[in-house]
Amino acid sequence: MRWQYIIYIVGALIFFLGLTMVVPLACGFLYADQSVLPLIKSMAATILIGGALFLAFRKGRVANISQREGMAIVTLGWTAVGFFGALPFYLASGEWVLVDAVFESVSGFTTTGASILTNIEALPKGLLLWRSFIQWLGGMGIIVLSIAILPFLGVGGMQLYKAEVPSPVPDKLKPRIRDTATILWKVYALFSAAQLILLMLGGMSFFDALCHAFTTMPTGGFSTMNTSVAHFDSAYLDFVIIFFMVLAGINFSLHYQLLRGQPLAFWRDRECRFFLGAVLVLTLLVSCDLLSAEIYTTIGDAIRYGAFQVVSIITTTGFATADYEAWPAMSQHILLACMFLGASAGSTGGGMKCLRIMLCFKYCYKELFALVHPRAITTIKLGGHTVSEDVMRSVLGFLALYIALFGISTIVLAGFGVDFVTAFGAVAATIGNIGPGFGDVGPVENYARIPVMGKWLLIWCMLLGRLEIYTVLILLVPEFWRK
Amino acid sequence: MKVLIVGAGEVGYHIAGRLALENKEVVVIDKDSDALRRVSENMDVQTINGSGSSPSVLTDAGIREAEILLAVTNQDETNLVACLVADLLSPSTKKLARIRGADFDQYHETFREQVPHIDTVINPEIEVVKTIERLMRVPGAVDVGEFADGRIKFVGVYLEPDARLAGVRLSELPGIVGKRRLLIVAVVREDELIIPTGKDQLLPGDLVYFISEEKELHDALSIFDKHAEPVKRVMIIGGGRIGYRLAVQLEAQSIYCKIIEKSAERCSVLAERLNKTIVLHGDGSDQNLLNEENIGDIDVVVTLTNDEETNILSSLLARRLGAGKAITKISKFSYFPLMTAIGIEQVVSPRLSAINTILQHIRRGKLLSAVSLKGEQAEAMEAVALETSEIVGKPLKKISFPKGAIVAGIIRGDEIIIPTGDSVIEPNDRTIIFAHRSAISGIEKILAVKLEYF
Repeated sequence: MRWQYIIYIVGALIFFLGLTMVVPLACGFLYADQSVLPLIKSMAATILIGGALFLAFRKGRVANISQREGMAIVTLGWTAVGFFGALPFYLASGEWVLVDAVFESVSGFTTTGASILTNIEALPKGLLLWRSFIQWLGGMGIIVLSIAILPFLGVGGMQLYKAEVPSPVPDKLKPRIRDTATILWKVYALFSAAQLILLMLGGMSFFDALCHAFTTMPTGGFSTMNTSVAHFDSAYLDFVIIFFMVLAGINFSLHYQLLRGQPLAFWRDRECRFFLGAVLVLTLLVSCDLLSAEIYTTIGDAIRYGAFQVVSIITTTGFATADYEAWPAMSQHILLACMFLGASAGSTGGGMKCLRIMLCFKYCYKELFALVHPRAITTIKLGGHTVSEDVMRSVLGFLALYIALFGISTIVLAGFGVDFVTAFGAVAATIGNIGPGFGDVGPVENYARIPVMGKWLLIWCMLLGRLEIYTVLILLVPEFWRK
Repeated sequence: MKVLIVGAGEVGYHIAGRLALENKEVVVIDKDSDALRRVSENMDVQTINGSGSSPSVLTDAGIREAEILLAVTNQDETNLVACLVADLLSPSTKKLARIRGADFDQYHETFREQVPHIDTVINPEIEVVKTIERLMRVPGAVDVGEFADGRIKFVGVYLEPDARLAGVRLSELPGIVGKRRLLIVAVVREDELIIPTGKDQLLPGDLVYFISEEKELHDALSIFDKHAEPVKRVMIIGGGRIGYRLAVQLEAQSIYCKIIEKSAERCSVLAERLNKTIVLHGDGSDQNLLNEENIGDIDVVVTLTNDEETNILSSLLARRLGAGKAITKISKFSYFPLMTAIGIEQVVSPRLSAINTILQHIRRGKLLSAVSLKGEQAEAMEAVALETSEIVGKPLKKISFPKGAIVAGIIRGDEIIIPTGDSVIEPNDRTIIFAHRSAISGIEKILAVKLEYF
């Protein structure tokens, strides 16, 4: 482990984060609100500290980094970015205690969308924009963005990329990692811009449209309104947001293929088919359930609200247009299942990811098959390609760890005095990077009432979920630190 | 620029690494997923698992956008087919095949000129034999390269502690050398390669690279206190393809030659094909056999078996038993840095030769030859100065050359100029440029036609 180099890169990331604060600052100046001063202070502090680390450790530059160092850089980088991103909140007013500011910031960067704010609308515009903007930065990955922008990350870029985007089968769109990162960000920015325009056409103000565009493509879920998207009460806006949430839940390399003129890209990909099929079937089930329970009286309403909630949860965005806790039990259970299922690998969504669930089912089937034909030699295939043993092992390990960490965190959170349903819902919603959970942290409530220690635990869960467990957890393994 | 490499063996691996460092888009194709993992873990390239001769794999790899296809697997047949298939899919891609079978030797030109789907055929073994011959002929040299059809040589020699030049600054050099044309272009000190300036000093133990005209080479070497000893007796250990080729060449020059080969079957083949060479059946690391064959009187021992460790040990043993010098074939790149430490100075590598030959074809502009120096930290290249390129028409000191690169020679017709800051390169001059690895992409830009960038 070459610590000098690790701190050097983390310093560069912090410095870079400081530069991005110019976006909310400009907004603060425009509206001349109270966010200007805290933003200037945070920006100065972030740039100075990041720059100082970067310069102080520049002698540690090396030509190549190991996988281990890549993981350390990504985990430390994300933690540092979470803390420095919290500065504008922390310095804004005396009401913000440290844990709340960090919770809000990490919830932003990890695109969870869980908030401790009871009155979002009271926040100055500059801070509201910062809240949405960090989701946008975190969605495609702050490291991926750095690889695209900072040339000196080029050589070690692959290790960092693998640690931040730990898809079971990593794709490289272009031979060079830097080109891949640039393409991903371009596609991401293009979709966000398209959504911004469509939202404004639906009558949203520029500010609200910008904030929501910043939080939809990363499947974040921060809204500028206390009642989330329900505030706007427009079927058009609901469907625009549903459309872009679905896009965000699809593997970005498929978007790239589509934009390059392969219209069948979505259809050819098994995982994408599975994801879209799941969205369709679950929406229908929930809509029928809502109709039969007479929550909504027209088919149109049932589909509009049913689809929004299903898509919002399965893509792990977390916008709300209805209080699903008042829905019948089957719908609630479907949404709970969606929390675990999650979006596609290679998308900005969280959760366990469809690909892993598919592979897990295929593996189970193979085991059953082997009971019938004990001497059969079988391989697991996905879309005609054989899935290697290594990949399969890492997928099963991931699922086991996911469930285990979920279980342990729930017990610990309940130990801090949180009730059963809330503890269950809060951990599921943070480890899956969704946002709203069940109980006290349901879609019309927030995380303000969770005890302080519980909030730290959930912050950790959010990081675990965003970096897909292995990258974070490896730092807790003693072998990792051994020389 | 996109380059497809078929075969992730040692040659494919190192070329991919070189090109990735120079910011080319590289895709490596191989059937062996373990070989690919080694590639993708160590460098920023894309890897595709599959057969390089399969049309669907080549399409997936993006053959249509690729400028160059390098077919460098172990099998000649696969390489040929890969080029053929690639040509069907993308005729505009330049295709290069590595072909090692000796049967193909006389057809290389035919391949280049008449076979439409292959642009270039390379056989590193031919290059290796040439390198061995050069090393034999230049006393004290550990590295010899040629430019301008052999009229200019670049030579690497170790500076002995008692040499005249030890401790001398480069700016004082003309006083010692007199009017002989000698230019020191690079110094390797403690595994670091330096492109020196006038202020730099030469220290004992340095590996010094210099450029000299062929006819003055022996004078130049005498400055380094290396004196010519004629090569009369050679022993080759390992009668494989390279050993056989070398023996044929030596026979042609009437040099007395012995081959030791382990396999009796191969020995009889060699004995049939060679006329004057003595073919010995035995183990090259067998001390008795070496003594029996008067190893002490042998001028040069060349170890060419397929086993690296055997080559190293046989060379050390032969030197100990009194052989004049030993040239060792080593393929594993990771051994190179160790060689000086264990006392093996002259090393040849078919893979390095393959890489050099291939690089020459990849470089932009009108590049005539390119050679990479020890440890791959630098390259020497010979290029035609295009009329539109930036190096033409200005005194050298006014050209914004990348750091770590120098013009080491200018060839204008029959004249050879060892340049100074005031020399001006004219269109169609051939220039020899030494460049550190980090400066190579900058050099490429200066040499290439500017229009390519619009």
